[in-house]
Amino acid sequence: MPAVEMVGVTKTYRRRGGQPFRALDSLDMTVDTGGVHGLLGPNGSGKTTSIRALLGLVRPDAGVGQIRLLDRPVPDELPQLIGDVGALVETPLFFPAFSGRRNLELLAQTAGVPGTRVEECLELVDLRDRAGDRFKGYSLGMKQRLGIAAALLKSPRLLILDEPSNGLDPAGIRDIRELVRRLGRDGRTTVLVSSHLLAEIQHVCDSVTILVRGRRIASGPVASVLSRAGTNDTRVAVPDPATAAALLAAAGFSVSPSPDGQILVHGAASPGEITRVLAQHGHYVEELVRVTPDLEEAFLALTGNQA
Amino acid sequence: MSAMLQQPTAPGPTATGRRGSLFRAEVHRFTARRFIQVLVGLAVLGWLGAVAIGLSTFREPTDADVSAARAAMEQAIADEQMWREECLTEAERAGDNPEVFCGPPLDASQWRVEDFIGVEPFDLASAAGAGAMAFAAGAAVLAFLIGATWIGAEWSSRSIVALLFWVPSRLKVMGTKIGVLVAATALLGVVAQAAWLAMGFILRSFVGTSTPLPDDFWTELLPAQGRSVLLTVLAGVIGFGLANLIRNTGAALGVGFVYFAIVENALRIYDITLERWLLSTNAVALVFPGGIRLYDYEAMTANMSEPPYYLVTNLQGGLVVGAFAVVIVGVGVLLFARRDIH
Repeated sequence: MPAVEMVGVTKTYRRRGGQPFRALDSLDMTVDTGGVHGLLGPNGSGKTTSIRALLGLVRPDAGVGQIRLLDRPVPDELPQLIGDVGALVETPLFFPAFSGRRNLELLAQTAGVPGTRVEECLELVDLRDRAGDRFKGYSLGMKQRLGIAAALLKSPRLLILDEPSNGLDPAGIRDIRELVRRLGRDGRTTVLVSSHLLAEIQHVCDSVTILVRGRRIASGPVASVLSRAGTNDTRVAVPDPATAAALLAAAGFSVSPSPDGQILVHGAASPGEITRVLAQHGHYVEELVRVTPDLEEAFLALTGNQA
Repeated sequence: MSAMLQQPTAPGPTATGRRGSLFRAEVHRFTARRFIQVLVGLAVLGWLGAVAIGLSTFREPTDADVSAARAAMEQAIADEQMWREECLTEAERAGDNPEVFCGPPLDASQWRVEDFIGVEPFDLASAAGAGAMAFAAGAAVLAFLIGATWIGAEWSSRSIVALLFWVPSRLKVMGTKIGVLVAATALLGVVAQAAWLAMGFILRSFVGTSTPLPDDFWTELLPAQGRSVLLTVLAGVIGFGLANLIRNTGAALGVGFVYFAIVENALRIYDITLERWLLSTNAVALVFPGGIRLYDYEAMTANMSEPPYYLVTNLQGGLVVGAFAVVIVGVGVLLFARRDIH
């Protein structure tokens, strides 16, 4: 059973005095149960709109009735399943004058969540010591963590986080990523996390859907998406790159200079063969690295100029 | 981050699990709002101030007050007589008829010392109606502010969006908020009228007349107070509706000010007969015993003993103010239910 399913969802925003903007364009998306799924795309690609559509905040123009969360149609059955869905959309929305704990208590009371769960969630995001402080005095990272704590209050089976690392410092980003990874591994929670940060998706997610201009352009396990767009290069560092490059070319390798002045060998089936050829001619390899394409390259390769 | 990152499997609020109380949570939210607390605190201070002013303003006149009043009256009579003498002299000099020009001679026996006494005891019987109206006006203004800030702050902080992650039924969310507001403003209206009665009886006890209250005191006062409570509720709902439409407390208050200060006066100037449909006119008519008469002086002719008037009854006042409230809130709720929320 997919945790999230969208089929042919289209959403167009009409702007006063401007051209209509199609935020989602026949978007299909499937998120399998369990693990962490990334929703990746540049700004304006439709990530937040698709999340808002999942949560019933925006009404699609087409594809209504084609959105399912935890195998139930949205928005029709959202009231019945909302207890299993936690969400943090963009910035956390709380009363600035209330303490973090007070804000969570009010939400817990709304949904009939036991008060003890508030303390558990504050502990979970490491905010217990500052829970009595007013929300408006929190740093951006603390606000974000409180937002995640609120989303976790219901012990959701599906956790939706929209750009959870936005505005955080490196330590905060690391903490959030660690938290998301661990939640995805707990065996009962499916995490859907959107981001425009490629590294975040690469480090945190098991699978990914890439959006551009409201359309899905790739999806699947992160490794699979990477390999689809990836290269098969090997970077070779030697004391004399020019001679080594000539030797490798003579041996039948496709060679080009790497950006750092060393050698890139394209399509080498076995890196060991490169070492053998160079060693035979008295050139000893200082570094031999299989160039793994990162998501940024994959993303650019998949999107071309669209992004 | 804490080491305890594994998510506990607490029972979630599923459809079959524990049911939360949105209403109770909203009541807590309402009572915890700082601005609302400040407004109520200021109202309490205002009441204490009014009681203090009343206690220092009203009292039984002393012998010294009566003597001073008599002296003032005699001085006034002397001044009047002197003025008339001068007037008669001037009229004779001008050749006019002095009695016609200066009026009849002064009849000092018609003058009363009581009219010159600056202090008087508090008379609850005569002040009860006016006090209830004044407290109704104050409570209505307070309720308008509370209603506007109650939903305006939700839009400013966008916490109403967060609430929809918990209760995705928009009508239920908005209906609960309106329900809490109606309950709170009804309580405010009742407390305001009780505060007036408390103030009235305090003043009566310490600085008031000891005359027994008339038999119809309560039968006249209580209905007016009941209508005052209704006005308070409707004012709160209108404030809520405006702020919900505009999605901003300050802007809603600005619109309210522009309406009452500019739009209503402009309509009165444009066509006086429109006055009977204005919000402020109907608000007054709702609480004023028997409603209010709006005289049309422009339509008066020479053979009329008084100008024609429109009677705006309590019922019409309630219906018009209620219609304003329903339309403003209804449009806002409809838009909230249908619009995308960002």
